[in-house]
Amino acid sequence: MTFKDNARRLLKEPLVHFLIAGAMVFLVLSGRPPDLGERRIVVNEAVAGALAQRFYDSFRRLPSQDELDGLIRDYVTDQVYYREALRLGLDQGDEVVVRRMRRKMESLAVAGAEAAEPDDSVLQAIIDKDPARYTEDPRTTFDQIYLGGDSPQTRAEADAKLKQLRGGKAVGGVPAPLPARLEGASASEMSGTFGDEFTLALRNLPVGQWHGPVASGLGLHLVKVDARAAPSKPSLANVRQRVENDWRAAAIAKSQAENYARILKGYDVVIELNK
Amino acid sequence: MKKALGTLALLLAATALVSGCDKVKQNVGSGKAEIKDTAYPEKVLWGDTHLHTSNSVDAFGFGTRLGPEEALRFARGEEVTATTGSKAKLARPLDFLVISDHAEGIGSTKALYDAPRMMITDPQLLRWYDMMHASPEESVKAMGEMLAVRASGKPNPAMSDKEAAAKRTTKLWNEHLNTVERYDEPGKFTAFMGFEYTLMQTGNNLHRNVIFRDGKDKVAKVEPLDPADAKWPEHLWDYMDAYEKNTGGKVLAIPHNGNVSNGLMWMMTEPGGGPMSAEYARRRAAREPIVEVTQIKGDSEAHPFMSPNDEFAGYGTSGWDQANLLGNIKTKPEDLPGSYAREALKRGLLIEQRTGVNPYAFGMIGSTDSHTSLSTTEENNFFGKHTGVEPSAKRATAGFVPGVNSGRMNWQSLASGYAAVWATSNTRHAIFDAMMRKEVYATTGSRMTVRVFGGWDFKTEDLKADWVKAGYARGVPMGGNMKAGGKGPPSFIVSALKDPLDGNLDRVQVIKGWVDKNGVAQEKVFDVVWSDMDGKRKLVGGKVPAVGDTIDLATASYQNTIGAPELSTVWSDPEFDPGQRAFYYVRVLMIPTPTWMAYDMVKYKLALPPEVPLRQQERAYTSAIWYTPA
Repeated sequence: MTFKDNARRLLKEPLVHFLIAGAMVFLVLSGRPPDLGERRIVVNEAVAGALAQRFYDSFRRLPSQDELDGLIRDYVTDQVYYREALRLGLDQGDEVVVRRMRRKMESLAVAGAEAAEPDDSVLQAIIDKDPARYTEDPRTTFDQIYLGGDSPQTRAEADAKLKQLRGGKAVGGVPAPLPARLEGASASEMSGTFGDEFTLALRNLPVGQWHGPVASGLGLHLVKVDARAAPSKPSLANVRQRVENDWRAAAIAKSQAENYARILKGYDVVIELNK
Repeated sequence: MKKALGTLALLLAATALVSGCDKVKQNVGSGKAEIKDTAYPEKVLWGDTHLHTSNSVDAFGFGTRLGPEEALRFARGEEVTATTGSKAKLARPLDFLVISDHAEGIGSTKALYDAPRMMITDPQLLRWYDMMHASPEESVKAMGEMLAVRASGKPNPAMSDKEAAAKRTTKLWNEHLNTVERYDEPGKFTAFMGFEYTLMQTGNNLHRNVIFRDGKDKVAKVEPLDPADAKWPEHLWDYMDAYEKNTGGKVLAIPHNGNVSNGLMWMMTEPGGGPMSAEYARRRAAREPIVEVTQIKGDSEAHPFMSPNDEFAGYGTSGWDQANLLGNIKTKPEDLPGSYAREALKRGLLIEQRTGVNPYAFGMIGSTDSHTSLSTTEENNFFGKHTGVEPSAKRATAGFVPGVNSGRMNWQSLASGYAAVWATSNTRHAIFDAMMRKEVYATTGSRMTVRVFGGWDFKTEDLKADWVKAGYARGVPMGGNMKAGGKGPPSFIVSALKDPLDGNLDRVQVIKGWVDKNGVAQEKVFDVVWSDMDGKRKLVGGKVPAVGDTIDLATASYQNTIGAPELSTVWSDPEFDPGQRAFYYVRVLMIPTPTWMAYDMVKYKLALPPEVPLRQQERAYTSAIWYTPA
């Protein structure tokens, strides 16, 4: 990876944007950002700029001098109350504050994972770990003749028709909006159309000859399996989209869990309950 | 001050840099498989065109915390954890999904929820904020209050900060399109981009779902359209025209829930009053080729008031025919004809007779309108309309919005429906194009397969050979127009097959609508094929005897010992008059099976009041085939 690639990748990181924006504000403006802990409330150009920005976001114009004064007055009031409330510990035991802080912490942890793009080697490793999940269904190509609902009469008919088919004669079925032939059908396609029992039954039918009756969720069928393609080994090119989706979902969950575990380490959790 | 403003310019530059980051993201949709289309549709595809996630103002308020990604994973067959904590999985995956979050205030309830509490100054907003954070039950109540305020027509000005909303929409829409693009897998699972245009007149439902045929490259050039003060859908059609003109893409709109529109969904007149013009009719027909006729909030196919001779017309109308969507204006009998699809199809013929253009020659689909991110219609696996009524012992007897007196009960919710599409491949373009030509049908959730072809020379013998090929070669499929000039009455190949995992079929009906020689629209239901028709169910006084009932309520189960797995016939219209314009659509009825309430009753050992229906006949409605005299 070249320096340019690295730089481009870096530029996509939201955290970097945040840092750049912050640095620019800090560099250009003299003075320092206000410190929440201290009993001094400074309204400098950075603060006024941020207030004006928020105003601009809402009204798409800059505030007038009077409006800006009002915003500043409001800011000072906010800060006075906020800091005093923190000093008095009013945030303690306020469930809404607690939950709000938790959500902030959680979303900080996932921001990176949402924007990141995994390397091929990472994705390949996911496939290698659980190839079954990404393996293409076995594909079956077969002809089927639908005989109608399951009944002793249909079963007898099925035997007679099977003999005819094996003798090389053409045989008709019951008209229904069902394909007479399926090419390379996946198991889920077959189950969707015929039901699971039919899909399972076809798995064991010898290739190249008519068999039946095979039961389905629709009734009885005569079936000739022409080809059965073994499950193909998943290639990254074919399943990239699914792997990447899974990777992203897992990465978000992982970074949240790790972040929590890391912070948790700094705490002793003592459960004092009577047994 | 001057210096402060200079600072401001700098800050704005920095902001631009930050917001630019979304655009840098690579187009993840590229490199998708090329799928070959078949010569004609061979397989029916199942989907939901109407699903809400936590991005919808009301869905979030009702409590759902599942977003578009979970919705897509669930639809394609994966297991997810529902908001209320239980595991959720479909018995069978869907083939496609349209996430249709409300454009209006998209993400705003979530924004209110996420906002720093100290920045909320409005007492009403603060109240809702605290309720949403208090508990799921309180959250549902808060949402009920928000909807009531909406119905009053006096929205809270603090909620309608347009600039903040616009910014939020841009960010959310962009993220949403990325997610949808990531889950669209041609040939396997189609994820459409779309939104709901929640047009409402003082609580009368004129909603439309908007679906794009295209990928993010085109769709990102627009944002979901908020109806704002619009009263009629021309505002939306202008937006659609502009989208197609500016991007070369394609977009369609699907009206839904005529049943709670108080007669405004399918009017005889133009919005401004006066008879509908050909130009208006043409525009509506072009922009709105299909209609959603069945969903959780009831069924809009037909109503006994207009169809007193149709013994199956009252399905899913209970509770929904008393008032408009928000329940603030009662429905008068004269409102009903403009609220139901069959009547609309008839009105379409009348308007066409006068103007030469049929505004209501629409196809029909079903969808869920679920607000849980979970697209469910299975009676024994139904997650309800919204998170407040996800599976629980209480939900069968709860109000439709628990804690809010809407006058509707949750048991009036249908576990319905899905959209069935005869497409030439499982891709955006093929499914969209099938919707445009109306080769689609609605079901109340059961996945029965239905084919219909109309022509002039179909014979019973056709069923013995490749009748699908013959159907396309010598006729038109559902949604088509019969060419005039054929000899004799039109004939129809109709073939229906049960869902392999569901109940047998009771009967197949053709519903004909026409304009008689006095210029009056008429309708008639023909039973054309039914189970055991030559045996135990011979006609009695010209009527098909009921199929029977095998339901065991003690176990919420049924037997497929009645009905038939498949019903096929070739039917020709015995009352055809070549001088009268007409439409024909097919309704398929399943044998009686238990409702979701019956399954709940067994699962939670409930005693339910007698008005709660425990049996029903699920059904399919196909798009019509139209005949126009030469």
